[in-house]
Amino acid sequence: MSTARATLNRTSVEDIITRAGDHEHVLTVEDLTVAFTRRRRQITAVRGVDLTLTAGRTLVLLGESGSGKSVTARAILRLYGRSATIGGSVRLGDTELTTLDESWMRGIRGGAIGMVPQDPSGSLDPLRRVGAQIVEVLQRHDVEQDERRGRAYAGGLLERVGIHDPGRVLDAFPFELSGGMRQRVAIAIAIACRPRVLIADEPTTALDVTVQAQVLALFTELQRELDMALLLVTHDVGVARIVGDDVAVMYAGRLVETGSVDEVLARPAHPYTAGLLDALPLPGIPRGELLAIPGRPPGPDELVSDHACAFAPRCRFAQPSCTRHRPPLVEVRPGRLAACDVVGGEVPRVAPATRGATARTEAVA
Amino acid sequence: MTSFLTRRLLLAIPILIGVSIVVFITIKLIPGDPVAALLGPNATPQARADLVARMGLNKPIPLQYVDWIWAVLHGNLGTSISLQQSVGSLVLKAFGNTLILLVASLFLATLGGVVLGTIVALRPRSVLGRIVSSTSLGAISIPQYTVALLLLLFAVETGALPTGGMHGTGDGSFGDLLAHLVLPAIAAALTPMGIVARMFAVALSDVLAQEFVESMRARGLSQAAIVRHAMHNALPSLLTITGLQVGYLLGGVLFVETIFAWPGIGQQVYSAISSRDMPLIQAGVLISAVVLVLVNVVVDTVHALVDPRVRA
Amino acid sequence: MSATTVEIAGTAVAADRPNRLARVARLPAGVLVGGTIVLLLVLVALLAPVLAPHSATSGSISERLWDVYTIGHPLGTDGQGRDILSRLMWGARPTLIAGVVPVLIGALIGTSLGLLAGLSRRGVRSLVMRTLDVIYAFPAILLAIAIGAALGPGIKNAIVSLSIVLIAPIARVAEGEVLRLRDADFMEAARASGARWSTIAIRQVLPNIAPALLVYCTSLVGLAIVYAAGLSFLGLGVTPPHPDWGSMLNDLRQNIYERPLLSLVPAVAIFIASIGFNVLGDGLRKLFDVRETEVAA
Repeated sequence: MSTARATLNRTSVEDIITRAGDHEHVLTVEDLTVAFTRRRRQITAVRGVDLTLTAGRTLVLLGESGSGKSVTARAILRLYGRSATIGGSVRLGDTELTTLDESWMRGIRGGAIGMVPQDPSGSLDPLRRVGAQIVEVLQRHDVEQDERRGRAYAGGLLERVGIHDPGRVLDAFPFELSGGMRQRVAIAIAIACRPRVLIADEPTTALDVTVQAQVLALFTELQRELDMALLLVTHDVGVARIVGDDVAVMYAGRLVETGSVDEVLARPAHPYTAGLLDALPLPGIPRGELLAIPGRPPGPDELVSDHACAFAPRCRFAQPSCTRHRPPLVEVRPGRLAACDVVGGEVPRVAPATRGATARTEAVA
Repeated sequence: MTSFLTRRLLLAIPILIGVSIVVFITIKLIPGDPVAALLGPNATPQARADLVARMGLNKPIPLQYVDWIWAVLHGNLGTSISLQQSVGSLVLKAFGNTLILLVASLFLATLGGVVLGTIVALRPRSVLGRIVSSTSLGAISIPQYTVALLLLLFAVETGALPTGGMHGTGDGSFGDLLAHLVLPAIAAALTPMGIVARMFAVALSDVLAQEFVESMRARGLSQAAIVRHAMHNALPSLLTITGLQVGYLLGGVLFVETIFAWPGIGQQVYSAISSRDMPLIQAGVLISAVVLVLVNVVVDTVHALVDPRVRA
Repeated sequence: MSATTVEIAGTAVAADRPNRLARVARLPAGVLVGGTIVLLLVLVALLAPVLAPHSATSGSISERLWDVYTIGHPLGTDGQGRDILSRLMWGARPTLIAGVVPVLIGALIGTSLGLLAGLSRRGVRSLVMRTLDVIYAFPAILLAIAIGAALGPGIKNAIVSLSIVLIAPIARVAEGEVLRLRDADFMEAARASGARWSTIAIRQVLPNIAPALLVYCTSLVGLAIVYAAGLSFLGLGVTPPHPDWGSMLNDLRQNIYERPLLSLVPAVAIFIASIGFNVLGDGLRKLFDVRETEVAA
């Protein structure tokens, strides 16, 4: 590639990123569908997801594994390449990403949109020192071309993510660091180019419980400092409660409920959300007596009908009508959307005090 | 690093002892009476007893082994029955020639295998990927002597390249050597090239399936940069794979050298077989096995240089 | 699972019930192609007395070195005037036997050693495996030659020497597979139930490592045929005048300047046999979803 074209690309990408900063809603996802072809069969993993990310706010994408939440996050960055068919729209500011030229898209990845992967032990090249891996990204996005200054910059980044001895870490191989340290390094790389949007896919799942809290606090701190929009993918309601401003709950590739974290977690409007909350351990209730959602979500190879509520087979409130048509995602209260027309905007909750007793009765029955 | 090398060399010692025992056993496997074979049918009992004592055959087998290995360590591998020369010097001279052929074909096999394997790993479902994949399966199945014969036919028909030997009648220049080397090297390299291609394709696609590859994509690195990192990570596997090919080549050159009259160990062993010259066969096998053991030490050492996790 | 889920997934399940013909058609191409080649070879070997148009061991000197496509001798005649097609058919027997039998023997002993090593305590395991490492340290064909040369020519000796050589790589594959299984739940359960070592090995482990071993050994036959033919190429296999592809190759290559095509006939035959087993092995690998190993012979 000629230098001239590379320069052109860079300025254009920079332009896109700058303009994105002018928009209140930095990233808009509309009617996103993601389909894979496996053994000559189309498998649709995400169907019609809408999301809006706002600078300085955190949107939590909540769901069980296989709900399509991780696929959504990856599809925003077009990480699947040609192996997935992506429909709908993903806009960074006013720039459409689904149709953007791949070489420009590479500038967006790690430049305008950073990503923190799930498993910190697998996210770094095992054979290269941490410093070299950070410097490579800095050079790629033209933050700092000079090797020596790049290293100094990288050290600063490491300090910023709470690493006290950046010199040692820069010279370390990934296997010499703890899981928490590796995740901090991955975060440092993700924020190296001051991205507008940070996507974190289950960033604390693989970590020790004690480290989890520190890393979550780091996310909140960095977000405020850099005024980023944060999309945090998790299956953990607890994580959503700690870091989330808004939440979008996914089930079988669709959104089933959205709203502010406080509202949704206090008064869920979809039986699935309520089920997730009931499955949470609460003080005073022994672990064995949690109300787990019966059954399991549909697997990636199972066909999910477009004309039925996918959650109906597991739903306590399911009516015959639930398997005949699919309830659309509609506003149930100001700022609250839910896709259930049985419960009427609020799921009747079992009071925590009686939950233990109910679980016991159900077990007997 | 030095300590790693020392440790690895120490580990090789029991293997080398084992190798020497196996070679010694093959001597003992020879059916019939070696003394009778040497003296002919009309030997006197006195002559028999003298020779048995001189050859140490009246000693217990373990002591015979000790005598033998002592002699071998002093470079005395016995006398060639058919050529009446010291086996040690014969084999040593031929080994240099074998080494030239070995290095050339190993280079070809590795280079070609890596290129083909990379194509398969990067584009497994493309037309090109499928063609390369089945071609390498074909290459694996072609015996080296078949390739050698085909190439010999080619040389005979076209007259483009010399059909045998190591040097022409001419000056013995490097170009002359190279012309003689081309066909034998290709003949020896084709099968291992197929093996390297297939194994490297598996190794590289394993690396490409690792999470850090997607992470690098998410950081905006170019495809070229990602492939470069993936290759670096597949290097340890490549070393192992290439090391295995040395063993395969040490066996295969036997046929290639025979067909192309390349004056190496293989050709020596071939003529030794027809004249049942066991000392020469055993020396050839022993030196090949020792080389292979040492090659594995080198492979492991380079592996440790590449991968910090092994070093630690 | 509730009734509704069955209904949702039901369409896919019902469509997945094929008839027998469709199931054969869905086998990996390698199984079909390789299987056909192997089957044809075995048939030729079995039916050689019926199929062979001429004697394999005698010919007339006046008919020596006729080229391929000669009437009456479609693949020509060798230096002693013997019909090459007939020799090829008869020669399929020792070539296939010397390729298949060593793999069977090697598989029997190698798998036993692999099971022993994989399921034993560390001490026993390293004793077995380090001993095999010694065999493995030799270039396979060279060790077979050393043993074969010591024992003398003959198909029995060729089989013995190849068997010894093949034990080590098969044992390595078996041990590797056993080690991967060692920590599986069902193994824990079997150990906890106090089952005997041999019972665990045969009932639990063997069925689980069988696919990988079958795949490996099938491909190994492809290699063993090349090695076996190589041994007789060197005069260490079948004794003359009986035909064998390797010795035919060595015979005919003496006349390469006069009749270049003739020497290709046995060479191509060995290649077809070898690729037949390799393709079959590759197909079986896809069928059983077995990973490619880095163990070479």
